[in-house]
Amino acid sequence: MEKARKLRILVAKPGLDGHDRGARIVARAFRDAGFEVIYTGCHQTPEQIVSTAIQEDVDMIGLSILSGAHTYSFPRILELLEENNAKDISVVGGGIFPLEDISKLKEIGIKELFEPGARLKDIIDWVSSNISPRRGVVLKK
Amino acid sequence: MLPPEPSLRLVTDTVEFGTREVPRWNTISISGYHIREAGSTAVQELAFTIYDGIAYVEEGIKRGLKVDEFAGRLSFFWNSHIDFFEEIAKMRASRRIWARIMKERFGAQDPRSMLMRFHTQTAGCSLTSAEPYNNVIRTTTEALAAILGGTNSLHTNSLDEVYMIPSEEAVLIALRTQQVLADECGVTHVIDPLAGSYFVEALTDKMEEEANVYIRKLDEMGGMVAAIERDYPQMEIADAAFHFQRQVEDGEKIIIGVNKYTSDRPELEFVLKIDEEIERMQVNRTNRYKEKRDKVRFQKAMDEVRRRCEGPPCWENNVMPALIEAVRAGATEQECCDLYRDAFGVYTDPGTF
Repeated sequence: MEKARKLRILVAKPGLDGHDRGARIVARAFRDAGFEVIYTGCHQTPEQIVSTAIQEDVDMIGLSILSGAHTYSFPRILELLEENNAKDISVVGGGIFPLEDISKLKEIGIKELFEPGARLKDIIDWVSSNISPRRGVVLKK
Repeated sequence: MLPPEPSLRLVTDTVEFGTREVPRWNTISISGYHIREAGSTAVQELAFTIYDGIAYVEEGIKRGLKVDEFAGRLSFFWNSHIDFFEEIAKMRASRRIWARIMKERFGAQDPRSMLMRFHTQTAGCSLTSAEPYNNVIRTTTEALAAILGGTNSLHTNSLDEVYMIPSEEAVLIALRTQQVLADECGVTHVIDPLAGSYFVEALTDKMEEEANVYIRKLDEMGGMVAAIERDYPQMEIADAAFHFQRQVEDGEKIIIGVNKYTSDRPELEFVLKIDEEIERMQVNRTNRYKEKRDKVRFQKAMDEVRRRCEGPPCWENNVMPALIEAVRAGATEQECCDLYRDAFGVYTDPGTF
């Protein structure tokens, strides 16, 4: 029987984009809010991110990207989660997204996208209200 | 990409090679820009950058170079952020701190070794996606601060910095910003025009003092590599970045269009689209390039780079001559980096937050 645990979040930076100030701030805010947080550091491949997410048994992956390469990495990560029977891990994104890409990304399964100006409290509230833990996980209150 | 020690070794190879073979080449740009963009304070940017400079000078001396042989070709790269007077004071303080360090800590005799030559870029992180035309004003005041701070060269950001690599129109405004300041305003006709201002001198002194506190602390830790391995500068930067975010969200730090005087103006349209076909074209071009090169010459050159990487750092093992030959023989950047990663190991960022 699974012990109750806190919501676990992986903050990840796919691709060559090295701008991780936002990712680190959000990771800290998540930790202060009581989630368990792992941050991958920069220059991760989709394969590395999904592998880490599964190994660390996270409930949500927060992808940080500002370079425009979300068009490749986000769908690829969703694909890999599906291939590895880990579709119950939610994926959200933060960074710079052209308006027309936002609806496309949500259609393929990215649960939410946080753009410049998103406030930390709003992100945390959104995650608390909208992200369920993985199958079979009981959240510690 | 590489851990701190091999990174330092490659920097020193560059400095040594320039000093011996390409004496008018500016060997390295010691950067604070990225430290500031990561969220550091102005004082941290000043102190950590100068301390990186100290580390490079120490390595050059360890390599057997005399400080006056190479120090004159070092240069720096500052950020110019939105607090006008703080940035001017920072640049002024940097000149005095570096001159003192070169003279007193390293015994430089040549005045050229004591010069703080620097490039400046206006702060990307001060710009907003909301009401992007406000960014033109921010870049202008930041550029002016850099000029009054004594920068030797200048980069002005485009108003669409937050969104994408710049559109032609935005680049033109950024360029014209410099040209108006340089050719119309007269601010480039006087060296250090704010010298003697009670306020600017007091601020300069204060920043120098505060930077020296950090410099002493880094000395106590055993140098920059030791400090990095302990995550010290990374934690300082992360703390400063988080603190700043709190200040913005609490309204303590004002950003026009974001937390004060906001409007419902639509944001910029993304005008820059990069055709995916370009990636395919470049991959093909690179493959054709590799097909055509002299494979024997290429392999021999890469083996020599490898041999030097694996040897102890010294002039005989300086990678630069071998690297130049490798590139002439057709080595790509990917191949050189792969070789470095293989020889030196890959740096794993501990991901401090």
